[in-house]
Amino acid sequence: MSGSKLSGFRVASDKPFLIGLGVLGGSYLLIIGAMVLADVVFLNYSDRPVLGPEMVRQGRYTGGEVVVPVKPGRSYYFRKGKNDAGLRLGQQRIASDGLFLAAGDRAVLLPHASGRPITASLRPEARVMQIAVTNHVATVTTGVAHGLLWGEFIRVRGTGEPGWDGVREITDTATNQISFAVTGAAKPPAKLSLSKPNPLVQALRSRDIRFSIKLSLISCTLTTLLSLWVAVPIGYMMSRFEFRGKPVIDTLLDIPIVLPPLVVGLSLLILFRYMPEWLSDAVVYKWPAVVLAQFMVACAFAVRTMRVTFDQIPQRFEQVALTLGCNRRRAFWRVIMPQARGGLLAAGTLAWARALGEFGPILVFAGATRQKTEVLPTSAFLELQAGRTEGMLAVSLIMIAAAVVVFIIARTLGMKRIFA
Amino acid sequence: MIALENIALRQGSFELSDLSLELAAGEYGVLMGRSGCGKTTVLEAVCGLRNISGGRIILGGRDVTQLPPAERGVGYVPQDRALFPTMLVREQLAFALVLRALGQAEIGGRVHELAQLLGITESRDRPPDKPSGGEAQRAALGRAPAHPPSAPCAGAPLAALREGLLAAGWRPRQRVHRETGVTILHITHSPSEARRLAGCHFRLADGKVTRDENRSCA
Repeated sequence: MSGSKLSGFRVASDKPFLIGLGVLGGSYLLIIGAMVLADVVFLNYSDRPVLGPEMVRQGRYTGGEVVVPVKPGRSYYFRKGKNDAGLRLGQQRIASDGLFLAAGDRAVLLPHASGRPITASLRPEARVMQIAVTNHVATVTTGVAHGLLWGEFIRVRGTGEPGWDGVREITDTATNQISFAVTGAAKPPAKLSLSKPNPLVQALRSRDIRFSIKLSLISCTLTTLLSLWVAVPIGYMMSRFEFRGKPVIDTLLDIPIVLPPLVVGLSLLILFRYMPEWLSDAVVYKWPAVVLAQFMVACAFAVRTMRVTFDQIPQRFEQVALTLGCNRRRAFWRVIMPQARGGLLAAGTLAWARALGEFGPILVFAGATRQKTEVLPTSAFLELQAGRTEGMLAVSLIMIAAAVVVFIIARTLGMKRIFA
Repeated sequence: MIALENIALRQGSFELSDLSLELAAGEYGVLMGRSGCGKTTVLEAVCGLRNISGGRIILGGRDVTQLPPAERGVGYVPQDRALFPTMLVREQLAFALVLRALGQAEIGGRVHELAQLLGITESRDRPPDKPSGGEAQRAALGRAPAHPPSAPCAGAPLAALREGLLAAGWRPRQRVHRETGVTILHITHSPSEARRLAGCHFRLADGKVTRDENRSCA
């Protein structure tokens, strides 16, 4: 009986196991890829028209169709909501978003079903009525209230005059006037059309966001250097030496990882109440607070990485180096550190990425002051608060790009080590 | 010469005491013992990598008990070779010489000599993961006594110590021994390897070192 069982022994196929691995791993990878891709694809990179006030009243399709008076010959922007079927203009039907030229004097909004709130939007395109220029400042009067704000950017096109076309910062606004500096001739051009550049251009041109990009890059790099400077000795010590209280230190090192980030910020804020005044004045709500908040969290990750790195380098190398004539310091620098390069790079990248995304502690400990303590996550938050989700998306794309660039650099440096 | 005089060692619950061993200058000693009997601990004590709680360690007539590993003038060739993965074979051979701040020309000359003695001239400019097992073994051997027995650690013997066994390694090691005249203490857990090695044989068992009187040290 057992003989036949032994000779006829079969193992089950590996396929279900491998397929399981593939499906589980693959679905996660797919989500990662799709998530980043969605951000990149979702943002509309084309210019937007400058639009006047809303003409459709948000309400209910009480009587079914809703009539909106329009002026023939003018262009309007229609955005279809989820409760709307489209727009009727005489014989013409518009069912997709975009600009159209009004032929008749009435547009009819068509509901999907009556009794639902109107979700569509119909807005006139702002037409340039008058162009004036004084002292190299152009003032453009539009037919309707344009809703643009001081500090935003506007694309000027179709003037045919040198020094007029291009993206200009709005220096002054009135209800239906905008002013911007021009470098060209003092004579105003005959015609001019305006559009709003896409949020990415807006973000990259904005002085606030430029500052926050700069502060983010500088503070993250500073944080990374500081983190490595601390993480290397701590990681080495934890990996190589046995001493009393080591488990306590081990736990302490994990606290920044375990604590909610906001609490880290708050704790720092409270800690600096006990610091001498000159120090807390120099740090709290200033840029050093940004670095310190980032450092507290990022360093914990760098320490973990460096410890694992040193754990993986056998102690034998140091022992041999010691017998060959090194003291501990020389053995560390000549034999151990060259081998820890990969781990150092990994720890640095991790710390940098953590620092880039740090938001909670910075908000509490450094505040969110424009051009002072604003880093990229703060910008994203401020954009969201101002109701500009597209602006937030643009800032997010900048962060994604920064992270990708740093990872590529780190990978290339890491590769060099492998291929050398 | 290598001499251990009544040394006592403690590592956790493991303890060795009153351990003695003597090897005259230029002799080739083999220390045998089963795994876990404390061979490695003894080896680390000789190298200065582990503190001893009693007794004296004498290398080349010099009491080195309180000296750091670097000043003992021993060469350590571990079983796993432990060639530094970030250095070329040539750099490994030069390592000890560079630490002693020798001139470029002298280092080059000595490295060349060593590579010839060990027969690894071919793989000198390769990283250590490239040479074959035997070559790596010889490179590790060459790295250990590469520093001059004269110069800074004058008069000190060079003991190429080795724990465990790699079959490919024993032949060149005995040649190194013959041609350089260093005192060697070879540590192994394999009786079959020990049998192939000439020299004084010692056995470590039950915390005592006994000398195999049936074999001559010549």
